[in-house]
Amino acid sequence: MNDDPSIRVLLIDDEETLLEYMSKRLLKKGFTVKCAFSGQEALEAAQKEHFDVAVVDLKMPGMDGVETQKRLHKIQPFLQCIVLTGHGSIDSALESGQQDAFHYLLKPVEYDTLVTSIHEAYEKKVQLVNEKFDEDVEEIHRSGLGAKGIKKAIDKLREKYGIQ
Amino acid sequence: MESNNSLELKLKKVTQELSSHKIELHQTRGYLQCILQNSNDMIFATDVDGMIVSFSKGGEKVLGYTWEEVAGYYIETFSEDPKSFEEFMADSQEKGSAVRLEFPFKHKEGHTVYCDVSMINLTNTKGQRVGTVGVSRDITRWKKLQDELIRIDRLAEIGRVAAGIAHEINNPLAVINEVSGWVEEIVQDAKSLSPEDREELEKATQQIAEQTRRCRTITHQLLGFVREAAPEKTEFDVNGLLNKAIDFVSPELKYAPIQVVRDFSTEPLSMKSDPAMMEQVFVNLLTNAIHAINEKGSDQGKIEIKTVRTGSEVEIHITDNGTGIAEENQDKVLNLFFTTKPPGKGTGLGLSICQNILKTLNGGLSFRSEPGVGTTFTVRVPLS
Repeated sequence: MNDDPSIRVLLIDDEETLLEYMSKRLLKKGFTVKCAFSGQEALEAAQKEHFDVAVVDLKMPGMDGVETQKRLHKIQPFLQCIVLTGHGSIDSALESGQQDAFHYLLKPVEYDTLVTSIHEAYEKKVQLVNEKFDEDVEEIHRSGLGAKGIKKAIDKLREKYGIQ
Repeated sequence: MESNNSLELKLKKVTQELSSHKIELHQTRGYLQCILQNSNDMIFATDVDGMIVSFSKGGEKVLGYTWEEVAGYYIETFSEDPKSFEEFMADSQEKGSAVRLEFPFKHKEGHTVYCDVSMINLTNTKGQRVGTVGVSRDITRWKKLQDELIRIDRLAEIGRVAAGIAHEINNPLAVINEVSGWVEEIVQDAKSLSPEDREELEKATQQIAEQTRRCRTITHQLLGFVREAAPEKTEFDVNGLLNKAIDFVSPELKYAPIQVVRDFSTEPLSMKSDPAMMEQVFVNLLTNAIHAINEKGSDQGKIEIKTVRTGSEVEIHITDNGTGIAEENQDKVLNLFFTTKPPGKGTGLGLSICQNILKTLNGGLSFRSEPGVGTTFTVRVPLS
């Protein structure tokens, strides 16, 4: 399943060994992977580069998964989050649902399920981006800006949508 | 010397008093009779030695014996624990009265009846003890209910603790899962492995994956067990839901000689409850029935599903002609983690989960089983 372009995945979990092996396997499958061992690290990573999908643990020391998702969405509104947790509490599931978690998976997860889930989350992100991007571009055209203004606006769009 | 006149007057007065006492006595007797006839309590009187001389209608209900059957017997004969009863009697004689709670009696049909009993000395006009009067309230049903509540409470508590552990185990389990998956991929890519070594390693990693899956089934089911989701109630038809549950288990039915008989009530059984939860219960019970039949190895397996409306409730009976539940296991099958299946085949959670769900839905689960003949599970759920 080597899709082009490579899907950019951000893994967030305080279990370092888990992320070490999970990232190795995902890399081998052709994903672009970045690991963050806390919510704070995840936010820092999201400020530096764009991701398509985040896989988030709920229970982490410091910033928990729900809060992490909330803040990630502020930085990258199109990023899709998959919750991966050892906790079966439906409350957190519902709450993370409010934070637009794309899927809610229980640890340990079947590898194929995770991979499928990441692909589906990516599809969703692409769909959302396409819809919004067209709208935004149209908006710029309608705005009647000069060449300079348009260039500036497009740069902003690049930033927002993570287009290099 | 008194005149005849005054004597006559006295006599008249005494006669009058006597007749008014007689009326009073008659009323009191009627009053007592009324109590003895109508009270649901077992009220008995014994002579000085404890031999029964009076036995109320309520007593006939509580113990199952008629007055004629108990007349002349010692009251302790009907106690499950005659020795304690004698002590109780002696205690009451000495102090004038005594009370015992949850005292066990033996019903005519053999089962135990629990009563709260109070005994009091019966005395004559001179204050001498001439017998004992006892009032016993049958609390068997109440006690059963209470025991059931304690059991369910304990079950929920064990469940919560176990779920906490399950959560902690899920994390290392996830690590094992990823590491073994990685090893598997390394083995697949390795070029210099001998075919034997490759086969060995592949088998080994498959084993790790398989065993991890096994652990996961347990931890995930446990987490499902304590999931305190509020029921999402919608209107649905029970018979339709049962058909759905049967469809769900049909892959298991395909390769087994099992006939499914639907004995559904002719009137539609529309109810308001949580269909997803109910379906889980039905699927669990049907799966159990299939396993019981397969275990028996009979080629004439039959599962009968009956639905009846009883007042404001629906009863669903699921009967199989499988192995039945061994006598000694009957009071354990609803316990968390109890299973008769070999290791790795059953988690011992299915029926506990069913019971927990039905408790949430204000319903109940009961069963009747005869070893070698089969089992009937009965689900009761309120219509709304």
